[in-house]
Amino acid sequence: MRFRHACATVLVVTVVAACAPPQADNTGDQGGGETTGELTVWLFQEASNGPKEAVVDRAVAEFEQAHEGVTVNVEYLPVDGRAPRFNGAFNDPASAPDVAEFGNTDLAGYAASNGFADLTADLDAWDEGADLVPDVLDTATIDDKVYGVPWFTGTRALYYRTDVFTELGLEPPATLAELTETARAIRAAKPDLYGIAVGGKYLFALLPYVWAHGGDIAERDGDAWSATIDSPAARAGFARYAELITPDICPPAQCAQLTGSQSVAAFAGGKAAMTIGGDFNRAAVDEGAVKGKYGVVPLPGTTDGQIAPAFAGGNLLGVLRSSDRRQLGWEFVRLLGGKDYQRAMYDAMGTMPTFTDVQDGIAGDDEFLVPFIETVQAGTRFVPATPAWTQIDAQAVLPTALQQVATGELDVNTATSAAAAEMDAAFAG
Amino acid sequence: MAPPITPVAPDARTRAARQGLHRGETRSALLYLVPAGVVLVGLLAYPLYQLVVISLYDYGQPQAAGAAPLVFLGFENYVSLLGDPRFWDVLAATVLFAAVCVGGSLLVGTALAVLATRASPWARKLLFLAALGAWATPAMAGSYVWLFLFDQDFGLVNEVLSTLGLAVDGHSWTFGRFSAFGLVAGEIIWCSFPFVMVTMYAGISAIPREVVEAAALDGASATRTATSVLLPILRPLIAIATVQSTIWDFKVFTQIYVMTNGGGVAGQNLVLNVFAYQEAFAGQRYGLGAAIGVVMTVLLMLITVVYLRIRR
Amino acid sequence: MRRRAANAACVLIAAAVAFPLYWMVLAALKPPGEIQSADPRPWTLAPSLDSFRRVLDVQNFGLYFVNSLVVALLVVALSLVAAFLAAVALTRFRFRGRTVLLVMLLVAQMVPVEALTIPLFFLMRSFGEVVPAVGLNQLGSLVLVHLAFSLPFAIWMLRGFVAAVPVELEEAAALDGASRFRFTWRVLFPLVAPGLVAASVLSFIHAWNDFLFARTFLISGTDNRTLPLGLLVFFKPEEQDWGAIMAGATLMTVPVLVFFVVVQRHLVSGLGGALKG
Repeated sequence: MRFRHACATVLVVTVVAACAPPQADNTGDQGGGETTGELTVWLFQEASNGPKEAVVDRAVAEFEQAHEGVTVNVEYLPVDGRAPRFNGAFNDPASAPDVAEFGNTDLAGYAASNGFADLTADLDAWDEGADLVPDVLDTATIDDKVYGVPWFTGTRALYYRTDVFTELGLEPPATLAELTETARAIRAAKPDLYGIAVGGKYLFALLPYVWAHGGDIAERDGDAWSATIDSPAARAGFARYAELITPDICPPAQCAQLTGSQSVAAFAGGKAAMTIGGDFNRAAVDEGAVKGKYGVVPLPGTTDGQIAPAFAGGNLLGVLRSSDRRQLGWEFVRLLGGKDYQRAMYDAMGTMPTFTDVQDGIAGDDEFLVPFIETVQAGTRFVPATPAWTQIDAQAVLPTALQQVATGELDVNTATSAAAAEMDAAFAG
Repeated sequence: MAPPITPVAPDARTRAARQGLHRGETRSALLYLVPAGVVLVGLLAYPLYQLVVISLYDYGQPQAAGAAPLVFLGFENYVSLLGDPRFWDVLAATVLFAAVCVGGSLLVGTALAVLATRASPWARKLLFLAALGAWATPAMAGSYVWLFLFDQDFGLVNEVLSTLGLAVDGHSWTFGRFSAFGLVAGEIIWCSFPFVMVTMYAGISAIPREVVEAAALDGASATRTATSVLLPILRPLIAIATVQSTIWDFKVFTQIYVMTNGGGVAGQNLVLNVFAYQEAFAGQRYGLGAAIGVVMTVLLMLITVVYLRIRR
Repeated sequence: MRRRAANAACVLIAAAVAFPLYWMVLAALKPPGEIQSADPRPWTLAPSLDSFRRVLDVQNFGLYFVNSLVVALLVVALSLVAAFLAAVALTRFRFRGRTVLLVMLLVAQMVPVEALTIPLFFLMRSFGEVVPAVGLNQLGSLVLVHLAFSLPFAIWMLRGFVAAVPVELEEAAALDGASRFRFTWRVLFPLVAPGLVAASVLSFIHAWNDFLFARTFLISGTDNRTLPLGLLVFFKPEEQDWGAIMAGATLMTVPVLVFFVVVQRHLVSGLGGALKG
């Protein structure tokens, strides 16, 4: 009898123990110290990836030269489909890459998943580290811990076709309302062109619209966040952006699914008269059909002379917490994220470096950068710095709302209310 | 991808077993069963159990990555799922979509099976060969071929239509909800009607000629012969083909994922399977994704019960 | 007269059904300029292997092809052995719980394996901690899941074939002094070959076509990609290289097609003579 009872107890304990879903062990000491073998690196695929690959290939060659027995395997991920890949990497340390590029908007979420290694000490010991622009370094920091080396920052502005504008006798728009009219006028005159190439999945083009109208997508109250995309000001901006994705400007059938890099690619391919693009898109545009036929101005605000607040974008290079080659990974980050290669990336892509002295070295003599610098000086903003943002982004809450409006499925008020509800659910955890 | 072929296998009732050739050989039987048993228990039964367990937890990215403690939710995932209008929308879309695919494959498959019985052997061979090709085409390859045919810039369909003066240049077939679903349904019917056709053809050719002739002699019209003589004989086969296709089309993933780019504009083309994938692996809500999986399993099990009844 | 009409209809429909495949191969063979042209022609005067070359050299498709093949063949081999043994046990032995097992087998066929992606993902992660070769990101994990998915049906199918082998044969073998084991492998196994072929086609196709699990399990690195993943990577919304995509799709389709046609005759017995001309 007693034996049977014991058996039952064991059984119950086993079942209960086996009951909870499994969890990965990401809490152990940070990374191993293997110094040879394959270093796996994830980088983002750009609108035109060739120039980036060329620079990275050089860095890889240099790195492999300096480290015997090390091969570097670089994989380029589309930004759009990054979420399942990074989730998978955090879920299974054994499959994770060693080094990855990631957007500063994802930092909070990735840090909450214990995804990236704390590089604070390494950065302190790095001679070049002291020259990083402090504000930019802040975007790589959570709770005083640095999780990545800022690789470049990005600001977006308005690209427009000088030839088209001259031909039609148009001036770059001075307000967002005017932008809509200009875009409509161009498409009316030239039905082959999109008035402006923007997309339903182009969040970083939507945000300046919301901000310029005095709204925001969410606001912080202490530690808690709540969605404000359904506020009147945010809705006004949202509606102003959504009206670009209409048949007489950028037809929904083509534009509702466009991401940022696809919008830029459409402009570069000569399919659009304007687009919202970053300084980092310069190479992509110059490689396309519109080389030498475009200009850039800051994205205007709601009133004349105003500049819409831009999203303070930027990508970081980090070492995965689970990496067996932490030191090696850090050395690669130091190389690719260091001054020389940041400069090389600028030369190849137009990406803005994150070191004070490197910035000083280029800013003076590059007219292309002027509108972007003006934009930065007018003030930049950021997405909610909370782990929930990564989830909101991965669930495509705002793009879905935009697409619902673009397809005529919902009106702005209903779509933004639904989006706000989804965001609040994510904020609540 | 080809739906599984139902075994119209040789009579499965086992004479040997009934005769009891090896009585009481439980131990050696177990030995023979071990490899398959281990795999099925470990990789089918246990995951099924885990699916239910995960659906009862708040299981997000930090939890899965071991960076946050697990919280037992009970049925909260189900409550929020069933309270979400989006879920009901996706469920309705899944059911309708599966219905269209099943209906389409049945209709096309049966019609062509009938046609095949009337044609000369060489023509029948040709038809079967073509069907075999469609059947063998992997879902991934088929999806891309269809996308290419209907591509808005370089697709043949738009080209032909605009030559006929029927459509505007650059019409996007994947933009509208129904048009995108229709395109995917077309691909699915294309690659799954051969299964129905082969099954039905086998059934029709197995009907003795005399039965049909007798009906004709009795003065029954062709339609009447079809509905009151052939249909009853074929009913079990039709039922099997229906259920088999339903099970298949209800859980389609690849075609939707590939052809509508992960679920279409604003998720308009999501079906349950893609919805679960997006919620879990992209949206980091593994618990909720598992709950969708459970719902899907239950629904399919219900269909299975029907299936079992029919096979009895 | 009616027969002639039926024949004509058969030919037309066969052409329509086969057309997407024709278009796929054609696009794969067209030189790049012709594919992007706004005026697609249903033939090409200058067939070129450029697209195939681009796919195989630049994109490493050869490796993905081998990966897919390795997974599918392993699944076939392992599932045949396991399914055959189980089928023998279920038909040739009498033991308690046999009926229960049979019913469970039927139910197992109906489990929507796609719904199990989430638990299987975490299960493979745990496996990987013990045996790295079957962990996530490894081809082994794909072999395991497809093995599990193809087994129930394979067992079910083989059961019929094993049962069809006369019991007298086994009795004769036993009289000749052959052991049970020897009989099973030397006599029974070859005798059920048609069933094995039919079952293997299904296992092969299942594993070969899989996209969902490859997409979920293969996380990092390009060396372990299977064909469907390789195809997905090609597909860039900005600028489609349709020639390369169609070449990839052709490479993915051809083995299955060949497999189908080669085993068609064996499949015939598996399907009860459905395909007999």
